[in-house]
Amino acid sequence: MLLVSSEELISSQAQELRRGTVVLACLSLLKEPQYGYALLETLNDAGVAVDGNTLYPLLRRLEKQGLLTSEWNTDESRPRKFYRVSPEGSLVRAGLVREWRDLVASISRLTKEKH
Amino acid sequence: MNANTLTERYVHEVVRRIPTDQRDDVADELRATIADTVEARRAEDPASAEREVLIEMGDPIRLAARYADRPLSLIGPEFYPAYIRLLKVLLSAVLPVVAAASVVIDVLDGGDIASALAGGIGAVLTVGAQMFAWLTLVFVVVERSRTLERSVYGPGAWTPDDLSDLPETGRQDAAAYASAAWNSLLLALIVWQHVFKPYQADGDGIPVLDPALWSGWIWPILAGLAGVVTFELVRAAVHRWTVPLAVGYAVAEALFALPLAWVLYQRMFFNPDFLTTVNGGWTVPDSLYTIAILGVLAVSAIDAVKRFREALS
Repeated sequence: MLLVSSEELISSQAQELRRGTVVLACLSLLKEPQYGYALLETLNDAGVAVDGNTLYPLLRRLEKQGLLTSEWNTDESRPRKFYRVSPEGSLVRAGLVREWRDLVASISRLTKEKH
Repeated sequence: MNANTLTERYVHEVVRRIPTDQRDDVADELRATIADTVEARRAEDPASAEREVLIEMGDPIRLAARYADRPLSLIGPEFYPAYIRLLKVLLSAVLPVVAAASVVIDVLDGGDIASALAGGIGAVLTVGAQMFAWLTLVFVVVERSRTLERSVYGPGAWTPDDLSDLPETGRQDAAAYASAAWNSLLLALIVWQHVFKPYQADGDGIPVLDPALWSGWIWPILAGLAGVVTFELVRAAVHRWTVPLAVGYAVAEALFALPLAWVLYQRMFFNPDFLTTVNGGWTVPDSLYTIAILGVLAVSAIDAVKRFREALS
């Protein structure tokens, strides 16, 4: 017997779908330097739902991979770590954008309602 | 800043689980991020806002694992099948042999059956726990060390050439039939020498084996032999050993070998009358009995382990 409602199934599958998009969203938003919490707010306002405990470690991982660079900004009373896209990150972003467009095109062809 | 705030305790819990060279940086960033988040709530009670934010950040162990890019499982999916398979072999094939050996050694040392059995149960518990613990520990270490992982899988990627040949079922079926035939013959011989008394001494037929066995120890031995024959035949019919079949075979083998070893040890195996007439005063040396006992136990144990290896391969 099926104990999981279809709403729950949709939300868990949707989470799988969104998983890879956070990286692309970060690489796109971080053309301008941004610190962790502000980026989280921007992402959530833009409709890319992500939790802090996922985003903050992700930023460090992208930095380790050379896709982001970071700098501490101590101008304000609270020092914050600002991230921005590296040249290599821009290349990766361009590649991911292409992949994303192809994916959207393929999926919309596949899911087009037949009349 | 009060060093014992919730935030400080939380940050400490996270960073002590990540590599040393990143600790200070992650700690500073986490502090700023938590403060930013708390501030953005514009709560009237900052303390409860801090609490809420930490709850949203979640378990520090989980967050630290994300920062360190470390698995949150003791043994991951890559090694889990090998782990389970080895654990099964150890607990279902090796452990019974160890326990049986402990019982036999106790008995050979002159202990009584009851205390020997108690010792066997003790061996099952302690040795079983050791096997479980050490195997798990080894796999956890392998899981956590990338270099070891590479050495296990070798430098190259998997190719179809790595596939092993299919077992030659025909030849193995023949081996199972041969084993069944040999054990049936043994069973028939034991019954035959008792019923028909083929050995003639002073015009009378006498059995070779001690007739007293038929009011006791011969029955588990015969039942064990019958069990071995049955399982070999089932094996030949289904063309391979499965774990339940191998377990059945091991039980039958133990039923055969342990009483036989005991009977040999107690010198209750041969009919004393037979020995007197055959040997004419010469007594069978103790060393021969010892060799026979160890031989029976070793062959049975090896046979049982072989079945398990085939079942699990």
